[in-house]
Amino acid sequence: MLQPFSYDYMLTALWVSTLIGAVCGLLSGFITLKGWSLMGDALSHAVVPGVALAYLAGLPFALGAFTSGLLAAAAMSFVKLKTPVREDAVIGVVFTAFFACGILLISLFPAQLDLKSIIFGNILAIAPGDVLQLVAISAVCVAVLALQWRDLLLFSFDPNQARALGLPVRRLHLTLLFLLSATTVAALQAVGAILVVAMLITPGATAYLLTDRFGRMLLLGSALGAITAFAGAYASYFLDGATGGCIVVLQTAGFFLAFVFGPKHGLLAARRANRRLCLVRPSLEP
Amino acid sequence: MNATTLLEPFRHDFMLQAFAAGGLVAAVCAVLSCYLVLRGWSLMGDAVSHAVLPGIVIAYIAGLPLGLGAFASGLLCATGTGWIKRHTRVKEDTVMGVVFTGLFAVGLVLHVRTPSELHLDHILFGNLLGIEPGQLRQTAILSTIVLVVVLTLRRTLLLAAFDPSHARALGFPLRTLDTLLLALLALAIVASIQAVGIVLVIAMLVTPGATAFLLVRRFDAMLAVAAGGAVASTFLGVYVSFFADASTAACIVLVQALGFVAALCLAPRGGLLRRPRQTASSPA
Repeated sequence: MLQPFSYDYMLTALWVSTLIGAVCGLLSGFITLKGWSLMGDALSHAVVPGVALAYLAGLPFALGAFTSGLLAAAAMSFVKLKTPVREDAVIGVVFTAFFACGILLISLFPAQLDLKSIIFGNILAIAPGDVLQLVAISAVCVAVLALQWRDLLLFSFDPNQARALGLPVRRLHLTLLFLLSATTVAALQAVGAILVVAMLITPGATAYLLTDRFGRMLLLGSALGAITAFAGAYASYFLDGATGGCIVVLQTAGFFLAFVFGPKHGLLAARRANRRLCLVRPSLEP
Repeated sequence: MNATTLLEPFRHDFMLQAFAAGGLVAAVCAVLSCYLVLRGWSLMGDAVSHAVLPGIVIAYIAGLPLGLGAFASGLLCATGTGWIKRHTRVKEDTVMGVVFTGLFAVGLVLHVRTPSELHLDHILFGNLLGIEPGQLRQTAILSTIVLVVVLTLRRTLLLAAFDPSHARALGFPLRTLDTLLLALLALAIVASIQAVGIVLVIAMLVTPGATAFLLVRRFDAMLAVAAGGAVASTFLGVYVSFFADASTAACIVLVQALGFVAALCLAPRGGLLRRPRQTASSPA
């Protein structure tokens, strides 16, 4: 059972996954409240051409990913502004186009680019330079969140009230978008483009089912992200390296446990409360 | 480049099959995309297409037809999302994200655990050029079913997609219609897996409808423009990928995306390169 801990690459994979899980879990509270799941999914696909180009040009992958993610976000807001098409359709059109560009690049240069590691992540073979980039990204995200979390919270929860209170809504929107892109880039290494969105919403959604206090929800989401990422990376040692799959399976299982057994908002708790209500007021339909 | 070179793709059987399968799938997805774009269900195509993976792997292990497994798990994702949504306070898009990534991850882990001949690449990105006659037949049958049902019920489905509350007020069984649309969506995705794969089918389920929405005002015209445009861009994409030696699915999606950009610039009303006669009106 302790065998994974005797390999350097496993130790690196374990602590890096845990770090990424914690940072994504922290942000996931905001994303869940804001209703930006589709945005997270879109950005995680949209960074692929940037990653491919960065690897081809020998640049840091984070730079390419980040540029491409921001370009996609800019394209989405431009198209949304100029057309009457619904926002979700605009997001769908833009991110699939970016993703297709990435796949095209990978299919044109199969020798230099590894499709599998971009799509599914490859944390077990992460390069030291990439670890450095991830740590830097995580540090920046945590710092920004630590400084701005109250404003971002109000903005995520109720943008109108945030505007009414005189908060710089436009800047908060961009900050959150920036944080989302940055964590997407980080999570890409751990679980790959397709499953990034799980890291960015599932821990937050789970925490949302378990507590009513926002501060607690953030910490809980972060803890859940860290624990599941650690356990998933550990399990993937025995499962031929499907790290992303393992992490996300664990996160989803956590969500279902909270959904069914949550003390206050769980399915069983709601049933119990319903029954009590019927006992108190027998005239009500169950 | 002379005419012989340009006609080269049409002299290979596998290319002709690719044109046929790609065109069919493009038409079906385009017709559905009109409804999804109006209904605001673009994420639904994304979710269902990812969610078919565990079904495919489990069907493979159990020796069942892969299409059946794919359909079942795609539908499970769509209905499961709806059910969970009704029993929790978490937002619908978040629930959908949690469910489809969870299903996809289960599929991934199962796939790694099962030594199999299933090529993950082919499920994810399609293998249009290597499509076999049996698969072509399956694609043709499924596409025909979806097309016939959608075109027969197009008015009813339109009302349900365009104005759900009005449809409910008129006494339409909205829940049944939604489930029907989801089942058709899952069928279309099953039919498309071989052609473009589950990742890029999302584009075929959004882009043609969005493009047509920019170009025309009447729904029947929107259906025709979406289907025609999608089939044309699929032909062009397959044709280009033959010469570029690049991913067929990516080429198809990029040609469709270019079509959207062209519509964005040149649309008769509100196109970016047109002189503004009036400000772009809100969705009619």
